[in-house]
Amino acid sequence: MNFQQILLVLKREYVTRLRSRGFIIATILIPLGMIAFVGAGIGIAVWDTGSEHTIGIVDQTNSLYPRLEELAGERYKDFSATTEDSLRHMVASEQLDGYILLTEAHVTLQEDPEYVSSGAGGISLQSRIRSDLRQVIRDERISRASVSEEVQQIFEADISLSTTKLTEQGEATEDDTGFLTIVGLVMGIIIFGSVLGYGGMLTRSVIEEKTNRIIEVITSSVRPIELLLGKMGGVGALALSQLVFWLASFFALAAAAGPLAGMMLGPEMVPGGEAAAGNFNPDSFAMPDIAPSLILYFLLFFILGYLLYSSLFAAIGSAVDSETDTQQFMFPVMIPVMIGYFIMFRAMENPDSTLAVAGSLVPFCTPIVMITRIAITDVPFWQIWLSILLMIATFALTMWLSAKIYSVGILSYGQSAGFKELWKWVRE
Amino acid sequence: MAVIEVKDIAKSFGKTQAVRDASFNVEKGRIFGLLGPNGAGKTTAIRMINHILIPDAGTITINGLKASPRTQRMIGYLPEERGLYKKMKVGEQLIYLARLKGLTHGEAKEKTRYWLDRFEASDWYHKKVGELSKGMSQKIQFIATIAHEPDIYIFDEPFSGLDPINSKMLREIVIELRDRGKTVLFSTHRMEQVEQMCDDICLFNNGRVVLKGDLRRIRKSFGKNTIVIEFQGDSSFLDRIENVRINNRSTNFAEIRVLDGQDMQQILKTAMDHTEIYRYERVEPSLTEIFISTVGEDNINPNELT
Repeated sequence: MNFQQILLVLKREYVTRLRSRGFIIATILIPLGMIAFVGAGIGIAVWDTGSEHTIGIVDQTNSLYPRLEELAGERYKDFSATTEDSLRHMVASEQLDGYILLTEAHVTLQEDPEYVSSGAGGISLQSRIRSDLRQVIRDERISRASVSEEVQQIFEADISLSTTKLTEQGEATEDDTGFLTIVGLVMGIIIFGSVLGYGGMLTRSVIEEKTNRIIEVITSSVRPIELLLGKMGGVGALALSQLVFWLASFFALAAAAGPLAGMMLGPEMVPGGEAAAGNFNPDSFAMPDIAPSLILYFLLFFILGYLLYSSLFAAIGSAVDSETDTQQFMFPVMIPVMIGYFIMFRAMENPDSTLAVAGSLVPFCTPIVMITRIAITDVPFWQIWLSILLMIATFALTMWLSAKIYSVGILSYGQSAGFKELWKWVRE
Repeated sequence: MAVIEVKDIAKSFGKTQAVRDASFNVEKGRIFGLLGPNGAGKTTAIRMINHILIPDAGTITINGLKASPRTQRMIGYLPEERGLYKKMKVGEQLIYLARLKGLTHGEAKEKTRYWLDRFEASDWYHKKVGELSKGMSQKIQFIATIAHEPDIYIFDEPFSGLDPINSKMLREIVIELRDRGKTVLFSTHRMEQVEQMCDDICLFNNGRVVLKGDLRRIRKSFGKNTIVIEFQGDSSFLDRIENVRINNRSTNFAEIRVLDGQDMQQILKTAMDHTEIYRYERVEPSLTEIFISTVGEDNINPNELT
């Protein structure tokens, strides 16, 4: 193997793509697109809670409606003076989302309340109504039961959870699990997207050399394995450059965000006026720290994931004659990526579950799942290193397979190979 | 001295034997034609010489060295399936391809400039290949093949798809290279090109070498047993002549190979009885005729020859 040749191929692959307008635009637009995407998600959530429902209450107990009004006044309206027939009519004509008739029997738990609706609101509304009713009926019963003040306080006690996380050094830090979960998720999604995006780019790049018919000119100077490694390296270097650019601009923005927000939010804009402004701390806008080791693991799994999948994507490119024929091979490669992607969401909720641990040790899912776990929780060292070793071993295998397929595939024109032919090439 | 020495090479793809026990030598300073119908094994043999494919058996030496990445650099190769990176600029592309052949960046740039100048194509240096016309990119392709100025040039079906101007240019380049002491090997299934240019030939059929050697000597050995006749009138008399094979027949022309040593004057008489003769000549057989008589009429598909 001639390192010089690999380097030449790598450089061409890297430089021509780096300079292409498409790459520059994508590098800038993808983060903007992601921000817009998240923003749209938040926007929808905000807009959605704004569309409230109105539930009519016919209160024959005279004690439940005031409690409901106190609890969630915007949702319930007193219709005690209205007849049930006209309420039915209002619901049917959708002036009202629904109504509930509350009687003594409900307070004494002899009957369950009935919610009559036009179907608007769905189950989330129903569950909110259920919990509201549960609370007001319980409160009403407690106050009627003439229990002692102490017991009443016990029931009214509102418990919130404050969280503290112990680091390896044993010092307690403020828990950023929420923040780190998002970081882990974003990292997993970036690896997921890059594996597919850059893998696809490599496939197209291999097909391009076949359809351009330049491949034979190149192979009269370069060995197929050198060409393959050069191409994988070039596209990989491109992926890494893009990632480093994103990371750098992210940290630069994060560092600037605190002071900027502090400047923009003048005293008059801070709730509580000037008095509060004195206590305003710009640091509250800065992000919690991301450990350098997490960044290193991210880069490591990014590279390993790219290598593992790109070797397969390159083989796919060499086996087919045109881009439209890639489907049958793409499918089996996509499945493990998708599985990893779904396990990542489970790992986000419960990073130490059996599924998350197993998923993070399966080499084809490791890069996506493991980075999410590492971000959220302290993954035992042996798991991290086992997963890395397994990935390297798997990569050695896929690279060997890919080199076999690639060296035959690039010179077979005219038709796309099937799985049977690929197997033949591998055995040759 | 043999620049390319091919000895008993064989290559199979699955059950298909593309090349079997083929041996031939290409001498320095000669134009060597590799001939045969489509699918005879020419491209496979050429790919093995270029070390793109590895023979299952046999040996190939280039300038005394076993075929390897090192010998690849001694060869300028124009494949039958050829192309360039469409999105890359002409200059960059030529430099890249020359560097893959082992030139330094400086050398590659110098050669690229020189050859672009020679082909009056300096203006294209900064143009993308995709913006060039077909004829233009063919020129760039030649430059890519020869820019590193190797000793050996291999062209696989070089004339297929060329426009007449580039065809003429390529012919001139090939002759010029030979005159400068370089060695040229090219393959073709079009016999008339070989007759114009080749010093030596090697005939392939079904993966085997069926005939090889100095073209002039081969033709002489077949003797002047072929008649070229041009006439005006009813050509049906040709069908009544026995024991001949008629190639290149048209309404007023025929190339007649006389098979059993019959009197050629008799054929002339028959022709004179039926038509007006413009031209009658006894010549050495054409390569097409030589090819057919070597492999036997039954062993070839006439549609594969032109």
